[in-house]
Amino acid sequence: MSLSDELKEAIRHRSLAMTLEEAEKLAGYVGRMPTPLELHLFDTMWSEHCSYKSSRSVLKLLPTHASSVVVGPGEDAGIVKFADHDGFSWDLVVAHESHNHPSQVLPVEGAATGIGGIVRDVYCMGARVTGSLDLLRFGDPLGNSGEKSRAICRGVVEGIWKYGNALGVPNLGGDTRFHEGYDDNCLVNVVSLGFVRHDRIVHSFVPAEAHEEQYVLILVGKPTDDTGFGGATFASADLKDESEKGAVQVADPFLKRVLSEANLNVLDFLFDRGIKFGFKDLGAGGIACVTSELAAHGNLGIEVNLDLVPVSIPDLPSEVIACAETQERYGLAVPEWISAEVLEIYNEKYEMPRLFPGAGATVIGTFTGEPFYRVLHRGKEVANTPVEYITEGIVYDRNWEPSPVPVIEPDSRPCHPPLDLKRMLLSVDGASRSPVWSYYDSEVQGITHFRPGEADACVIVPIPGCRAGLAVSGDGNPWIGELDPFLAGAHAVGEAVRNVVATGATPIAATDCLNYGNPEKADVFWQFRQGVEGIAAACMELGLEGEEPLPIVSGNVSFYNQSSKGGAVPPSPIVAVFGRIDDFTKSTDISLKEPGNLIILVGDRKDELGGSLYYRTCIGHRGGRVPAFRGKLEREMARFVLACCEAGISRSVHDISDGGMILAAAEMAIASRPDARRGIVFDTEMLDPVILYSETPGYLIEMSRESWDAIENKPEFLSVAGRVTDEFRIASSRWKMDLLEILEDHTSRLDRIIWREEVTE
Amino acid sequence: MKSVPLVAVIQFPGSNCEYETKRGILNSGMDSCIYRWNQCRELRDSQPDAYVLPGGFSFQDRVRAGAVAAKERIMDLVFSEAAGGKPVLGICNGAQILVESGMVPGWERGRIESALAANHISGRSGYLSRWVFLHVAAKAQQICPWLGKTGNGIIPLPIAHAEGRFVFSEENRERASSSAALKYCDEKGIESSDYPVNPNGSFLNLAGIMNDRGNVLAMMPHPERAFWMWQLPPWIPGEWGDRRDQSLRSGSHADTKGPGSLFFMSLADHFRGER
Repeated sequence: MSLSDELKEAIRHRSLAMTLEEAEKLAGYVGRMPTPLELHLFDTMWSEHCSYKSSRSVLKLLPTHASSVVVGPGEDAGIVKFADHDGFSWDLVVAHESHNHPSQVLPVEGAATGIGGIVRDVYCMGARVTGSLDLLRFGDPLGNSGEKSRAICRGVVEGIWKYGNALGVPNLGGDTRFHEGYDDNCLVNVVSLGFVRHDRIVHSFVPAEAHEEQYVLILVGKPTDDTGFGGATFASADLKDESEKGAVQVADPFLKRVLSEANLNVLDFLFDRGIKFGFKDLGAGGIACVTSELAAHGNLGIEVNLDLVPVSIPDLPSEVIACAETQERYGLAVPEWISAEVLEIYNEKYEMPRLFPGAGATVIGTFTGEPFYRVLHRGKEVANTPVEYITEGIVYDRNWEPSPVPVIEPDSRPCHPPLDLKRMLLSVDGASRSPVWSYYDSEVQGITHFRPGEADACVIVPIPGCRAGLAVSGDGNPWIGELDPFLAGAHAVGEAVRNVVATGATPIAATDCLNYGNPEKADVFWQFRQGVEGIAAACMELGLEGEEPLPIVSGNVSFYNQSSKGGAVPPSPIVAVFGRIDDFTKSTDISLKEPGNLIILVGDRKDELGGSLYYRTCIGHRGGRVPAFRGKLEREMARFVLACCEAGISRSVHDISDGGMILAAAEMAIASRPDARRGIVFDTEMLDPVILYSETPGYLIEMSRESWDAIENKPEFLSVAGRVTDEFRIASSRWKMDLLEILEDHTSRLDRIIWREEVTE
Repeated sequence: MKSVPLVAVIQFPGSNCEYETKRGILNSGMDSCIYRWNQCRELRDSQPDAYVLPGGFSFQDRVRAGAVAAKERIMDLVFSEAAGGKPVLGICNGAQILVESGMVPGWERGRIESALAANHISGRSGYLSRWVFLHVAAKAQQICPWLGKTGNGIIPLPIAHAEGRFVFSEENRERASSSAALKYCDEKGIESSDYPVNPNGSFLNLAGIMNDRGNVLAMMPHPERAFWMWQLPPWIPGEWGDRRDQSLRSGSHADTKGPGSLFFMSLADHFRGER
């Protein structure tokens, strides 16, 4: 058999995702037929998931630099400066990932490991993890695949609470959206954030000191099994059917919690002793990736002995031990002389072997001056390749072809505000998300100021004793995505920025997760390019700190989100924005406060209702003309909202998005105190669907008349829309809608549909 | 007793509320230290004045929540200290441990008379996070060192658990009633066994129970998550809602104590009284 035939056969029988050309390239590197371990290692390294081979050239468009950025994209998580307190500088650490395919196949485990993986990315920078968000996209729960979509939604929420709550990381919300485009491929994006002392940031490579003294590689955590073998490859191909469950890992939040405590203890111990070290979590590609990357990024070689790896299943082949994606594991590069003390912390102090059979810390490799990646198993060499090739990566230039959606607007737009509002409040997209959030622990760690739903963004006070608050929101609108992929990217940034700004926080960083179909298809790759360009354009405009752009500091690309029938998901760029408010007590929630206060509309309404909740829910049309992105205006509006907050004159603030101004008003009323119910009466007749329902970006601000009168040189984008009343209703001079009668329905709607399966209309 | 009382927080594998609980104690003017489950000697040697078992998922809730931790060696020490009258508080998973160890209601030494069973809500299972309202039983206020300063008002606190339903056998109804420390009620103080006023179907609307002597308190709600006024949701009604608005207006929002602080401040006050 020729080498080429041998490679072809290996690709087939090992179900590798690599192409024959890639396999031949690998054979050229090692100068022979690659070993099974080498094939699987490079299959992972060169997978779309790890290599960004299709996306890399496009991602260069994103702004990643700003003076606040400490670590940009490239390592496991991004880092930006946050606040100085008590003699220390504290940095914010953020990461953003997808766990779409696993969650579609095994929703509970898939969603759980999604959190498990993303928090490890933040932990391994040396941070304490203080929050996570879930950006969820499910199929239509009332559509043709409703039963399946509801089951997946339930499973994903269960996976999130079972894992996240036990781990002790507060859930800071996120969003949940439904669209039939996700019927066969849900999206589960996860954001994690944490804080680290600037002088204690940890890097994921063996330090330069390892050239001078002997360093070893400690593997710590759960014993290795065969779960997740081929996981990265799985994430980088079309989802064929649900027989691929073996590629999904199994998470263990209990072990992770103990491991996290032990890790913090070990990192403090090493810092206190002044010892340089490298630390990295095990994700895609398992032991093979973590060992080779720790070595390669430090310009060293490594020799790994798989016989030393604790396993929970006997007789696993070398490539499975090396490449399985067993959860809850880390790799730590430390000087050999200190390794015994490190092992003692994990194995004696924190008793990991007693708490979980086979768990613990073990030395499994030694770093070497010769730049080769060598793996030994049962007396044989099972891999031997120059390290430089491992991290070299590959890049493809994909073809793209514009495929814009024709603009088709509905013929007529009937407007019955009370009825329309009721329909929207009771639609699956307009209903309260509290049934989802009620499963999440948003308050563990005792740092939460605004929980999900109380304000446009969750606000935490992460550093005890320090007044700096962090606001975070994640957004992305599939209805805009399917109509205009560029605006989907721009508005994902815009809305997340507005949500953060509405609380009074200034955006300091963003992350993105780009969820698309098959990049090898020219129309899909165009959608992807458009989304990135949209994000880039918005980030260039919406940096509110000085003249710098809003930097994207971490992110992820998820391709191949489509069904077996070949239909791609709606273009789904999802963006998380992180903001800082110097004094968290000034942050604003959405609940109406004082009767008589004015409701100020920030941002004129425009006739651009394409994809709006009103079109979809009230007239059954998706429309075509979506809101334009007006960067300069967005920026000025944001500056104004922040100034009001800083001046202490805004009593409540809510951004205008789904459902337009009328839904924003209703949500502000619904958020009011149950013993002090409030409503809004608009100043005019309010019978124009554009004014009421347009999702043109904007805000509603509650402030006193005196405060309003005291504002000098009012910008043109401001107007008085109405005032706060002590009646629990939304009204104009021509109509009124009492909220009490739909409150219970609005609050429990998702619970009844998703969990109680009450789906007959 | 130490000049500044020392309150030990016991960390089990899987605990996850130990740090904010410790902060609550420190912010109440007492000293606090976290002891790992296997630091029995260190704990004994430091001679704490009181003990807190914090929330979390000790030992992964294996068997039943709290069941494995209750059998850990370190609990022998807590058990004997409680028998000697030292104040002990179990919050959420800590409450589950106290119940599983028989320390509450503690009618007979070492006997388990109660259980914390899975929430019982029609049509819903699993974890539930929400804010609830509580009132403190009159007797408990007199004898429990964690409740002396809680007053007659309605106390809003958050719950976050999947297994928080106190269960007693029906024949013990009266006795259980005398062990009541905290009971769920609505924002106006009216009890109801209906969801969501009683959020988990708990027997007699019990949110917290104590031993006969009153020094051991097991409560499902989390006071450490409502220690500061800023931790309260903006929509909280009633007296605490008014106080929250007031602290916002007066500019003292960052440093004003919330309803959860009452439990820790009560203990500090108790120690001042002893001295």
